[in-house]
Amino acid sequence: MNFYETLQNSAVGHLISESNHLVGAAFQVVHIVGIVLLLTAVLLVALRLLGLGLREQSLQEVEKLARPFLWLGLAATVISGSLFFISTAVIYATKEALQIKIVLLVLAVLLQFGLVRRLVAHPASKAVARGAALASLTLWLGVGLAGRAIGFT
Amino acid sequence: MSSIIEIAQAIQDSSIGVAIAESTVVFPVIETVHLLGLALSVGLLLIVDLRLLGLVLPKVPVATVHHQLRRWIFTGFTFTFVSGALLFWAEAGQVIVNYAFIAHGIFILLGIANAAFFEIRLVPGAADWKESLPGAARFAGAASLSAWFLVLVSGRLIPYLA
Repeated sequence: MNFYETLQNSAVGHLISESNHLVGAAFQVVHIVGIVLLLTAVLLVALRLLGLGLREQSLQEVEKLARPFLWLGLAATVISGSLFFISTAVIYATKEALQIKIVLLVLAVLLQFGLVRRLVAHPASKAVARGAALASLTLWLGVGLAGRAIGFT
Repeated sequence: MSSIIEIAQAIQDSSIGVAIAESTVVFPVIETVHLLGLALSVGLLLIVDLRLLGLVLPKVPVATVHHQLRRWIFTGFTFTFVSGALLFWAEAGQVIVNYAFIAHGIFILLGIANAAFFEIRLVPGAADWKESLPGAARFAGAASLSAWFLVLVSGRLIPYLA
């Protein structure tokens, strides 16, 4: 058995795949609520970096406001997403859209935590701030598109 | 009732409805627009609602938070509604009898009614609000939070309660 088969046949994998389909639906609800929380944080920071939202608050204030939403959203999406994956690992492992999504997600999270934190500590030029915001929004758009594509490929 | 179902089926069977439903590119792209519009609208509205409840930015006046986010919330809702209408076009005949979809519609109407009450009756006086907000404002925040959360949940459940 390969790694994905082992995962799918694990106790957790069986528990999910053999449960009522409403359990899967509940995980989907957790996943989308997490997405909204996560993207709320991303949008707050990106709009502030672009000078288009919450301009009357400092970048530090906006980043502090966004932080709990980012963590809660990440926890909810990653946990629910991992549970979908475990229950159907063999099929999911072959999905290119999922692989693309994971790569874009990792890049987007690294950018969010790395570059944004850096910009908060060491304010840079407007052009750098805008570039960082646009890169972040583009990456998250890619995560969304790739995520939606999983079921269609 | 049966005539509503027939009309919905006719919408779904129209050439545009069929074109959207059968495209493996257009359909997920519209879904993505729906999802990202949702983050912009419901996500930023969440900040306004939590401010009304005093849970975020307690030292920043409500009017300041609301004024700065308002146009993005409306932009997001425009994207969500247009993409939602296109998704309905492709699946009207099926979803019109779906309990989750019916609940989705009802919660959207409640959310809009609450938003209209807030914008028309409360916002004009918001500049005068002191540290403790009027009860109506806090109620509107809690109602908005509940209504849009239920919109989100019922919307996601549409494919599961078919």
